[in-house]
Amino acid sequence: MAYIVEPDVVRYACMCGLLKPISRLYFCRHCLHLRCGFCVCHEVDSLFCGKCLENLPSTEAKLKKNKCSNCLECPSCHQQLSSKAATVAPKNPEDPKATPKKVIYLCCLNCRWTTRDVGIPDQEVGKSGWPEHENVHTNRLNAIMNHYKKLVLKEKQQQMDKDKKQRKYTTSLAERTGVTASILRKRLGMTELKNPLLEADDLKPAVASKEIVDSIEHLLTTPIKLNDITTIDQRLKLPDWQPTAVDKLYPVHKQLSVKRSLRCRSCEHNVSKPEYSPNSIKFKIQLFAYYHIPEIRIVTVEPLRIGKQCELLIKLINPTQHQTTITILPLEHLDAIQQEDTKVIEDPPETKEPLSFQLLQSSLTSHPRQINAKVGTDVSIPTSSIILPARDDAAEYDDTGETQNFQDDPKLVVFRKSNKAVIKLLVAPMENLELGEEVIAGFTMQHVYTSTIATTTENKEPQKFDHKMKIYLTLGTLVGSQ
Amino acid sequence: MSSKQTPKISSGALVCGDNKMHGDITFGTNSIVHPSCTISAESGPIIFGDTCIIEEQAKIIHRVPFYRTDKNPVMFIGSNNVFEIDCTVEAAKIGNNNIFEPKCFVGNKVTITDGCVIGAGCVLTDEQVLPKNTIVHGSGCKQREALDQPNPQFGLMDTLMRLLPNYHHIRKPIKKP
Repeated sequence: MAYIVEPDVVRYACMCGLLKPISRLYFCRHCLHLRCGFCVCHEVDSLFCGKCLENLPSTEAKLKKNKCSNCLECPSCHQQLSSKAATVAPKNPEDPKATPKKVIYLCCLNCRWTTRDVGIPDQEVGKSGWPEHENVHTNRLNAIMNHYKKLVLKEKQQQMDKDKKQRKYTTSLAERTGVTASILRKRLGMTELKNPLLEADDLKPAVASKEIVDSIEHLLTTPIKLNDITTIDQRLKLPDWQPTAVDKLYPVHKQLSVKRSLRCRSCEHNVSKPEYSPNSIKFKIQLFAYYHIPEIRIVTVEPLRIGKQCELLIKLINPTQHQTTITILPLEHLDAIQQEDTKVIEDPPETKEPLSFQLLQSSLTSHPRQINAKVGTDVSIPTSSIILPARDDAAEYDDTGETQNFQDDPKLVVFRKSNKAVIKLLVAPMENLELGEEVIAGFTMQHVYTSTIATTTENKEPQKFDHKMKIYLTLGTLVGSQ
Repeated sequence: MSSKQTPKISSGALVCGDNKMHGDITFGTNSIVHPSCTISAESGPIIFGDTCIIEEQAKIIHRVPFYRTDKNPVMFIGSNNVFEIDCTVEAAKIGNNNIFEPKCFVGNKVTITDGCVIGAGCVLTDEQVLPKNTIVHGSGCKQREALDQPNPQFGLMDTLMRLLPNYHHIRKPIKKP
């Protein structure tokens, strides 16, 4: 599938002005807008480990530094480690009763790195968990972290004191009489309660040393063996230790993966929501443009020459369960409408909208950026529109050429089968193009979108909307002039 | 050199019939050759050591680079080597205990010593000598040095020795005089 929709040949203009292939777009069916990954709100739904598929609540994940406690990764090539069983001869071979012991070690199936390489002792069968590699500087790091926490608290306290001074009048009885909790405690003869975090700590600042710890002399005298030195990737995978030699590598806990849901920015409806369970690859909501917007594929283009009308055959596919009508309009058509729209939107004050929405809007409303595509050809705009029947999965396998009674313009529609139609457009590359330059054609496609949202009881007919979007086709390079 | 030469198979070796073999080829004892592999001794004889496994679709080609002018070059392959599915090996000198993983390619300018593992899909073409226990892995053909050589797969060999003759034609080993 990816080879058909993945190359950026046919691009749709997203609401934000970016051009994306249809497989990368979402379609919000509530506000009828195309949305791309850059103009939706991303939310973390659940955290899970990709290997053992364990689901972790976000607080627990934070506590575990977003890493799985069971699964380990190879420090050498970052693939998952698997455990391997081996038998070890008994300690005293003379003893006839001693049986060979079964042990487990970890092994990477990709680069064949094993825990034996770095001298991690094998584990006995039945024991679980590998020894954690402790950071030498743990105490120091904790002390620094505590210190900063205290600083934060101190600053907060100072800010609060400042606020109190600024307040002219007090309302609480305790404050008016001057009897606060701490004074009461003093009067009763109790020791003052102290916040442990507010106590002064004895953190000594780090001292820069004059001496270089590691002597670098051996670097100058002995030849470097590249196989013994870790790569930058390997060092950054272990930020606590950053080993420089391969014999200091240690298995890393696997990073957790995230399931995220995507939300339309303007109406806050979900456009994509996966099922919560990490075992499932299904979606609760998936409003991908691929299932709602007619797909366009280029069938053939004649060699492009300046000043010559070249035939362009494109295929239109209706992916929905409803019949649709497609009209090709000039590219400027949508610009004119949008300008009118913005004029209208600017005037009425926003009412009835939820607060969060208003907040969001104030921060997120932005005018779509300029579409970054240089249109290099004129497209002949057909006068008639094309009706595409609904998608029928069974018809895909039906070879008995069914006759469809559509009153097509034979000059426009070349071929038709079930929910697909091939139409012929004429393109004429512009004069100002240079030889070998890429030619981009653009037009506005209008299609009838049948809303699938359950409508109110009053009108049982599904609502229909005219939806318009800009399409940019990359037709290939200019081969010459007429 | 006639291409219709029959391979010399030592006793105890198991060579399936349905494979392409050209030129002067010698198999050591306890070697196992699966069906549908290609062994072509174009530039000179190929000599396999003991207990080598050559799997399906593997291509072992003796093709000396054009600038080498040694007379009658011989391709030596040591013992305990495993050529996995669809690997292409042209290296003229191969030591012992090496593993060529599926779809790897080793060019004819490469010399392979002992205990090396050429990872799946890795391509080695430049003139080089792989040091002992080198492991080539990943899409970037990264190299690292292993602690010890990969273990010979005796369990697999026993199974193959038992099963292959049941389902395939077997070339007869040469009777020792």
